[in-house]
Amino acid sequence: MTGTAIAPAPSAEPLTGRSSGQRSGRRVWSYWRFYLALSPFYVLFAVFGLYPMLSTIVLAFQRWDGLSPRRFTGLDNFRFLFEDPTFWLSLQNTVVLFFMSTIPTLCIALVLAVMLQSAVRFTGVYRIAYFIPNVTSLVAMAIFFSAVFSTNFGLINAGLRSLGIPEQDWLGQPWGIKIAVSTMIVWQWVGYNTLIYLAGLQSIPKDQYEAAKVDGAGPVRTFFSITLPQMRSIVLFTVIISTIGGLQTFTEPQVMVGNSGGTGQSGMTVVLYFYRAAFLDNDYGYAAAIALSIFMLVLLFTAINWRIFRVRGDAK
Amino acid sequence: MELSRRSLLAGGFALVGGTMVGCSSGMDTSAPAKTNVATTLVLWCWPGGLGKSVLDETITHFPDPTIKYSEIGGDFKQKLITTFNGGTGIPDITGIKGEDIASMLPQANRFVDLKTVGADAILGDYLEWKVKQATTLDGKVLGIPIDIGPTALYYREDVFTKGGLPGDPAKVAAELSTWDDFIAAGVELRKANPKAPIVSDATDFYDIIIGQNPTRYIDKDNKFIGDQDHIRKAWDICVKMMTSKVDGKTPGGSPDWNAGLDQGTVPALVGAAWVALDVKAACKTSVGKWRLAPTPSGPANFGGSFLTITKNAADPAKAFEVIKYMLNADNQAKAFADAQIFPATPAAYDKPQLKAADPFFGGQVPIEVFGPAAKNIPVAYEAPADSAVAQPFKDELKSVQSGAKASDAAWSSAVSKAKAIAKRQGVQ
Repeated sequence: MTGTAIAPAPSAEPLTGRSSGQRSGRRVWSYWRFYLALSPFYVLFAVFGLYPMLSTIVLAFQRWDGLSPRRFTGLDNFRFLFEDPTFWLSLQNTVVLFFMSTIPTLCIALVLAVMLQSAVRFTGVYRIAYFIPNVTSLVAMAIFFSAVFSTNFGLINAGLRSLGIPEQDWLGQPWGIKIAVSTMIVWQWVGYNTLIYLAGLQSIPKDQYEAAKVDGAGPVRTFFSITLPQMRSIVLFTVIISTIGGLQTFTEPQVMVGNSGGTGQSGMTVVLYFYRAAFLDNDYGYAAAIALSIFMLVLLFTAINWRIFRVRGDAK
Repeated sequence: MELSRRSLLAGGFALVGGTMVGCSSGMDTSAPAKTNVATTLVLWCWPGGLGKSVLDETITHFPDPTIKYSEIGGDFKQKLITTFNGGTGIPDITGIKGEDIASMLPQANRFVDLKTVGADAILGDYLEWKVKQATTLDGKVLGIPIDIGPTALYYREDVFTKGGLPGDPAKVAAELSTWDDFIAAGVELRKANPKAPIVSDATDFYDIIIGQNPTRYIDKDNKFIGDQDHIRKAWDICVKMMTSKVDGKTPGGSPDWNAGLDQGTVPALVGAAWVALDVKAACKTSVGKWRLAPTPSGPANFGGSFLTITKNAADPAKAFEVIKYMLNADNQAKAFADAQIFPATPAAYDKPQLKAADPFFGGQVPIEVFGPAAKNIPVAYEAPADSAVAQPFKDELKSVQSGAKASDAAWSSAVSKAKAIAKRQGVQ
């Protein structure tokens, strides 16, 4: 479909009215059908996205228990936030979990994508199989994983026992909780990223590989000299998407270790802390302040990612 | 734009913000909105909150106005708050869960003081400590109790006797009458059977031990008392469970706990009357081997809800008639037969539905344990900020359990965190 096929009448006029405000205004209005077609997203976004976001910013400067009148308290919420050890702990947990889950996810996904690329048979079956975890109910999976990691009757400990390794109290130890939660995130997101990488791999021109072959490059060299550089923008995309998602980890620890975040509050992520502040402690203003901090955190990490990948891109 | 978990989460996140704030516009007037129309009487409760046969029978008993029952799943309190803020569609009668009632008391102006519609005549039928939970400091009664959750010691008679402990409920009651006895018995049991720790999870016991006290974290003068002896004692009992190695570290509701109930690796637990439903669901081979004894060191309460009338009710007097009927002793006994909803009216304890022997407990009559427990639960004042203030203690206790912190260090950290939260919530 091309734009010209459905272009409205004004485009047929000579473009002389550019200086006239009145005419350009009329020209904008003559596109009303297009704006109308676009509007559902913007209307929904304004109502369910923009307005709540702006209100959250306002709420972060207020005290509100959900029902009583709201009261402006200035920077009180933020002052408490900076002194709150639980908040800093949750921030630390979130970042640790982010690294523990995102790096393995993307590495495994890239390897799988290369393998899928060269697979000859059953490619459709593999792709579906890898994608299924991504469309499975998160809560059901979290319950399943907490059974897998349970101490006495869990699959992991059964495996350890059969190897003669002493069993671990996975969900009762701070590191065990982090491993269990990040394992689940990896399991869920590998397939999704594999498919994105696979699409990226298929867009790399074949002649580059042929040229590499002619030059005598082996599969490893080809991967690092051709595949990886060509995939840079795709990798950036997955890193940013994983960052945004990974920093908002909530369901996995909530279902696996509960609202308290488990032993040593090891599973207490910032979003879980936000949830607890708002919906369990009825401290909505403080929760809004936490929500803003998540926003800043995501922004910061995205900026860092962007910078790392762009600088490398320029150096090329 | 592809639909990923990320975008969904982002959307959900925005929605959360929406419920938090979006619905709040124009709610700075704390006065309730206009009253409902009188043609129907809208009743809200959560799934399983009211006995099915009692509910059906009440609906037919009050044909005019028609009772329209709505079962609200999910986070009930949140949906109620959102509806209050929205200002329309507020129910005439609504259930409020026991754990939420304290945080609703400051909102007394959104509810009808039941004393103004004749509650005084029936309040004596209900357990005093339970009614107190729904009474504001200035004496307004906001809710009539649906049920309560008196605790008892559930134990495996077979595991106890094999391990050299008494098996008969009367003997268990006599020999395990305090937490110290209970822990000593646990040490004994561990010697005979190392795979049967008497404490399923020490941190699960903390709330129950706190509930045995007549005071909690904040007193009636809005003063923080969480650093005092009664809290420290509860803390120390839990720590003693850990240090004397009778703690199985198997949190209630976990897969290990569920499996352990039937296999004998969770030989005992302390839980409310409704925990029987969970235990029964988890057990297949151990049916008839469970017994009930009084909670060591006295009963506590865990859960139990209320029915309230909102200020939006078209006809509060009529709504109260419905509540009065639905929650009378006869119907409370019926609700118990329906779904183990444990009555808040002592008169119901003598009804045949409650006098029945339970084969799951080897023919023991549960009410003989739960009945006296229900009557002896201490009256405790629970401040609106209570659960927020309690959280650091539970978090830190878990650190002691995992060995990450020594008891004293964890305690002082819990106290300082709790103090900060209390101060933030306006407690002195």
